[in-house]
Amino acid sequence: QELAFGSTRPSPDTPVSVSADALSVNQEDGTATFTGNVVIEQGDMILSAATVLVVYKEDSQKIASLQASGGVTMASGKDAAEAQNADYDIDAGIVVLTGNVLLTQGENAITGEKVTIDIDAGTATAGGRVRTTLQTGN
Amino acid sequence: CGFTPVYAPGGAADGLKGQISFAAPSTRDDQLLVRHLEQQLGHTTAGRFQFKYTLKVDQQRMAVAANNTTARFNLIGKVDYQLIDPASETVLISGSATQFTGYSATGTTVATRAADEDARARLMVILGDQVVAQLLAKSADLPK
Amino acid sequence: AQSVAGQSAASQQAVPATQNAVLVADSLKVEGRNVLIARGNVEVFHQGRRLRASEITYNRKEDRLNITGPITLEDEDGVVILAGSAELDSRFENGLMLGARMVLDQRVQLAANELNRIGGRYTQLYKVAATSCRVCETGRPPLWQIRAKRTTHDNEAKQLYFDQAQVRILDVPVLWLPRLRLPDPTLKRATGFLMPSLRQNSQLGLGVRVPYFIRMGDHRDLTLTPFVSANTRTLEWRYRQAFHNGGLTFEGAVSDDDIKAGTRGYVFGNGRFDLARGFKLDLQIEAVTDDAYLLDYGFSSKDRLRSEVAVSRVTQDEFIATRLTAHQSLREGDINSQLPTTVANGLYERRFRPAGIGGVVTLSAAAAAYHRYSSDDIVGRDVARTNVSAHWQRDWTLPLGLRATHVFGVRGDAFHLAQDSTSPRQQGQLTPEAQLVLRWPFQKTTANGVTHLLEPVAMLGWAGGSNDNIPNEDSTRSEFDEGNLLSLSRFTGESRRERGGQSAIGLRWVRQGAQWGSDLTLGRVYRDAAEADFSATSGLSGKVSDVLIAGQLRNAQGFTLGARTLLDAGLSANKAEARVAWQRKDFGLMASYVWLGRDPGEDRADVISEWVLDGSYRFARHWTGATRWRYDVAGDKLAEARLGVNYRNECVDLNLSLSRRFTSSTNVDASTSVDFTVNLTGFSTGKTDSSYTRSCRN
Repeated sequence: QELAFGSTRPSPDTPVSVSADALSVNQEDGTATFTGNVVIEQGDMILSAATVLVVYKEDSQKIASLQASGGVTMASGKDAAEAQNADYDIDAGIVVLTGNVLLTQGENAITGEKVTIDIDAGTATAGGRVRTTLQTGN
Repeated sequence: CGFTPVYAPGGAADGLKGQISFAAPSTRDDQLLVRHLEQQLGHTTAGRFQFKYTLKVDQQRMAVAANNTTARFNLIGKVDYQLIDPASETVLISGSATQFTGYSATGTTVATRAADEDARARLMVILGDQVVAQLLAKSADLPK
Repeated sequence: AQSVAGQSAASQQAVPATQNAVLVADSLKVEGRNVLIARGNVEVFHQGRRLRASEITYNRKEDRLNITGPITLEDEDGVVILAGSAELDSRFENGLMLGARMVLDQRVQLAANELNRIGGRYTQLYKVAATSCRVCETGRPPLWQIRAKRTTHDNEAKQLYFDQAQVRILDVPVLWLPRLRLPDPTLKRATGFLMPSLRQNSQLGLGVRVPYFIRMGDHRDLTLTPFVSANTRTLEWRYRQAFHNGGLTFEGAVSDDDIKAGTRGYVFGNGRFDLARGFKLDLQIEAVTDDAYLLDYGFSSKDRLRSEVAVSRVTQDEFIATRLTAHQSLREGDINSQLPTTVANGLYERRFRPAGIGGVVTLSAAAAAYHRYSSDDIVGRDVARTNVSAHWQRDWTLPLGLRATHVFGVRGDAFHLAQDSTSPRQQGQLTPEAQLVLRWPFQKTTANGVTHLLEPVAMLGWAGGSNDNIPNEDSTRSEFDEGNLLSLSRFTGESRRERGGQSAIGLRWVRQGAQWGSDLTLGRVYRDAAEADFSATSGLSGKVSDVLIAGQLRNAQGFTLGARTLLDAGLSANKAEARVAWQRKDFGLMASYVWLGRDPGEDRADVISEWVLDGSYRFARHWTGATRWRYDVAGDKLAEARLGVNYRNECVDLNLSLSRRFTSSTNVDASTSVDFTVNLTGFSTGKTDSSYTRSCRN
């Protein structure tokens, strides 16, 4: 079944690289906050944001989830998404975008308040007075 | 007894006389009506007030004889008017006047036509007198 | 990625100009790249069309919307389709809708269990019920409906085509038509049949009129109305044409009936055109083959016809009128050859306001010619006249508000007579005239805001010249009322003038209050010598005229009563006339009365006393009654009686009227006619008065 976002389904264990201007680590809860032109790559998906809070798994090598805020853009293959914030639960493969969300699938654009992308299921669900154009073809 | 002369200084016609410019006529009836109004309220082309009106004259068959000939006609005139302040386009006074008069149609074709036209001219005088009386009655609440 | 100027909140207005439809919903689920599932207040917009539904699934590959209801599809031109479920393309131009109801211009409803959209232009409905009547959930059938196996609505031609149509009244089939075409209510002009009407007439028998309207382009149309009954085969017609500077309308009829041998017919036409420099051209034609035709068929009650060409112009201070007229009398007593049937008139009148002497100078020049085509002496008299006049009028406001107007003038008349041995062929006269009019109005306003105007008026007048030997063609029916109390000459035409010295006095009292107002005018004329040419009942014969009493009563509730009478020295009336008009929202009454004394001078052998009453009353929401009575009090018989009842709601307009005309003469018989017209409203354009629309509550 085709994916709603991106063309390949990244498996949870594909490596995630993060680059940013600054990094601050919080030992107690094992989280790290990247600030300033944060760019995160996983497979052919790229997420960039102003600040990204990264939550590591208990054994603190793998990333469990990311919380990006301050204006987020994601791109994967022909698709892209923009929002104010984005929470990416890598294990579940669920990305929740909130605040002026704009999701584009090729030439089809969907706007809404909140968009949940289930990468594995290949679906995207938008809520809060959604709006899209009905593009025919492909 | 409270009556004051209308055309004396401070009378009802004081603010009106020579201050109303009447809308141009489009029919002979309009013209005769305006002529009678101007004869009493004065003529001007740049008055403080503008007088706009629509005039309608209907004809009604009266006195239908046994052999269906019509012996008389009634002319029913109605004029709806507005006194307007040209600067602000606000309507200061609006009103209407109506009355009927009649003419006999038992004469020749020419006599009946002349009677019709004379009746129309008389009707314009009657309507004009009513309008003048209404304007004079409301002249007190016009802006000075 | 293609960026769309969409904010988070749905902005229906900012529809992108692309060809694609825009979807807005509470929630949207995208499955893969091709399937969109929208739920919650789903709206789809496409070029002025709007579809609303509870849930829509859109398949991009097949460009197909699967829609679950309740669905509302609003087309342009006021077409609304409601449906339970539907499958359409994203431009709503092709597809199927089930359990559909199509509403045209909020008036005509077509219900069908299946509706097919084809190419965005045609909408086909199967097993259709079409009506403009109120349809309520009570299950009661609408007053009338058209059932059809299939109906096609053409949105471009704005037509409705029914196949196997069946017209039902309260669910009872009354008419079956293989094919029926009706115009869409938003269509302004379309060729086709208009609603038929039934007419039962005592002379013509029972007949039906079926009008057929033919649109001839955007500026012309022709309506042909065959009227066939037991005694007549008639074709009525009406032709209209609009020009950029005017328009004309002709109507007429041609008949072959059992009342009179030979073909009978009439033509009435009029036209008005704007010419250069403010002139207007007025055309009028009225002609009929025989005297009784117009009355037999109820086309017109005119007893004298007039055809005319007139060119005229009216400006503030100038009046120009020229006209050529042909008269035709249908009256029993008239002999057309002895009436002036061909008449030409011309008048030029100009007014100046000279600075030096002040006041107003009025110059006028008139000419007229009356031709009788009989050449017998006196009865065949032809007349030509020219009249010139100059008057100077000035008004003054004297101390204490006394208004004075003086008029000095002179008239020159020249008459040329033919075929009248009693009068010299040429006649001329010069009439110097002078007049002084005095008005002294007083006004008082009482505490409670009632204003009284008291205006004594007086006139002194003198005119020279004499009326000898000039035949009185146009001044045989003069009247005396408050409109010419102060005139220098109360004769209606140019062939007579009041001469010698005269004076007139009058008093006018006007009361004006918030609740009611009244006018009263009294007047009398005193002359130094009686005017022989005034008839007895004109009130102006003799050295002292009748007393004129005229008045009006009016109130704020739309009631007006006007009355006028002339009382001679013995206080018996020569004339009395009155008119009542009372207009309310649902009620209108107009009654007029006239009483004229016997006067051989006005060809009135016996007293005329008649009243006419016109009333209409909307006695219920959908029912209006109307009546007209013309009662000859002197002869104590009814001249005309008409009763009409109208039932009107949002989808039907029924008119039933019974009228009886009692007048009869050698060529016209009394007649009774019953008219019944049924109009299925909703298919015609024009605004509807919603006060007649029934609602489901009652």
